[in-house]
Amino acid sequence: MEPEKIAIDYDRVDVARIMEQIKEKTAAEAGGESPDSGAGVVPIAAIDFAAGQGKARRILLKIMSPFSPLIKLVTLPVHEELRRTILILDHTNRRLDELEKERQRLDRLQEYTKLLHHLCHNLVIELSKLKIEEETLKTKTRIMEKDFELLGKRERTLEKEALK
Amino acid sequence: MKLAFVVQRYGLEINGGAELHCRWVAEHMQKHAEVEVLTTRAVDYITWKDSFNRDRDEVNGVRVRRFPVTRPRDPERFGRIQEKLLRHEQRERDELRWLDEEGPRAPGLIQYIKDSQAATDFFLFFSYRYYHSYWGVKTVPGQSILVPTAERDPVVGLGIFRDLFRTPRAIIYNSVEEQKMINDVSGNQDVPAEVVGVGTEIPGRYSGEAFRLKHGLAGPYILYLGRVDENKGCRRLFEYFIRFKRESGSPVKLVLAGNTVMQVPSHPDIHYLGFMGDEEKFGALDGAELLVMPSFYESLSMVTLEAWALAKPVLANALCDVLKGQCRRSNGGLYYENYAEFREALSLLLTSPRLRRALGENGRRYFEANYAWDVIEGKYLSLLNRLEKGRAA
Repeated sequence: MEPEKIAIDYDRVDVARIMEQIKEKTAAEAGGESPDSGAGVVPIAAIDFAAGQGKARRILLKIMSPFSPLIKLVTLPVHEELRRTILILDHTNRRLDELEKERQRLDRLQEYTKLLHHLCHNLVIELSKLKIEEETLKTKTRIMEKDFELLGKRERTLEKEALK
Repeated sequence: MKLAFVVQRYGLEINGGAELHCRWVAEHMQKHAEVEVLTTRAVDYITWKDSFNRDRDEVNGVRVRRFPVTRPRDPERFGRIQEKLLRHEQRERDELRWLDEEGPRAPGLIQYIKDSQAATDFFLFFSYRYYHSYWGVKTVPGQSILVPTAERDPVVGLGIFRDLFRTPRAIIYNSVEEQKMINDVSGNQDVPAEVVGVGTEIPGRYSGEAFRLKHGLAGPYILYLGRVDENKGCRRLFEYFIRFKRESGSPVKLVLAGNTVMQVPSHPDIHYLGFMGDEEKFGALDGAELLVMPSFYESLSMVTLEAWALAKPVLANALCDVLKGQCRRSNGGLYYENYAEFREALSLLLTSPRLRRALGENGRRYFEANYAWDVIEGKYLSLLNRLEKGRAA
């Protein structure tokens, strides 16, 4: 614990700023404790290309300088970085595929919703037509009832006339 | 102006939560209006069993009218119903049944509200989640002011409460976080509202030194005030504190004061002192290095305000958005989400008296600017006058 590392302006204490620093510190510690946080990777500065002393060192460096990119490629864990990048890309691709599928699903849903809307609209129209037809039929029924009633009366009158 | 304060329990025996909040506001508003308190005869909040015998009473000069609870709560049955309610989707009928079971069921109180609405200007309902507030607000929506004192609790999302939060004439919130939560769950942005909170009563005499002597406490200590309960985050506090002691070797002690509903771990540096009166409680705060608030759910946290009133810094649980928000707005305390942050924040506070002083001073200024009684009274009066004008218009 080294709390003195946290910078505080005591005249204008800003809790949010202090907490940011605490969070950064704890995150860094958590990162340092992690097993794959680079413990197995040799830091660039630790590679001593300049082994030897004085003149011999300079000559060695001069001879090696055209090959230094190749040496770096071989000695540094570039393959690890490449592997991680590929993994990230793969993950991103998969996520994109999922999102694409989700987009297609949503498009389909949108189409279904439109169809449902049309269907509802048509149903309303059909129901209105049916209602009108029902009213027409009711009117026709009433007219026919009246005609039937009239015919009944006529029948009775004719029967009376025939019996006379 | 005549005001009726409606709350589930009321009395000097009840010294915490929304009930104390209501009592303090009622006592202070007596200077500005005719005040009456409408409540039940209950003292026990688990069963709501009638404890007070008299219908009418007077507490610190405030008239109190008590109504009987017609059916005490059966905690077991209520627990079952609540469990079912929260685990499955329910209809309004089931939610109302849950409300009935929760109580305190006092139909006489609701009838009295109905009968006295012409003679009363406003009814202030404290605690949204109980029978009296739900049915009371429904009975006199145009005259009701709701003080929800809501925490981030699953029942806040029930359908009946969404409706309740849209019904009153106005709402008085304890914090901006509470307002945001209720706005989010109910979409009641149109209801007139004010963020007010509550002040505190600091006794004239208290001494940290006397407290230390009485309890034989030498060396620095951090203080927890309130119910020692797992729901208040105490289990995690014990874990963190014991681990901190083991890792840091700090001489700090943890002092706890309040009722307990869980086992306090046996540790030489954890001192549980039981329930304390106001004078002793403020003495404990005065002697402490800081107040620790491990609670996950708070609507305001009166003890945090009390610590700031005494210029003491606070170390709060950041998972409670109200506490975190208060710490950031006041610059009066640090907060933690996990053990590493707890360790760093506590180490920083314990090793830097200058930081403790600066945070405490910020807290005191924040308290005076927002929670001094004249500020609280002013906010209540301003809202009441606004509503009165609106009614007249």
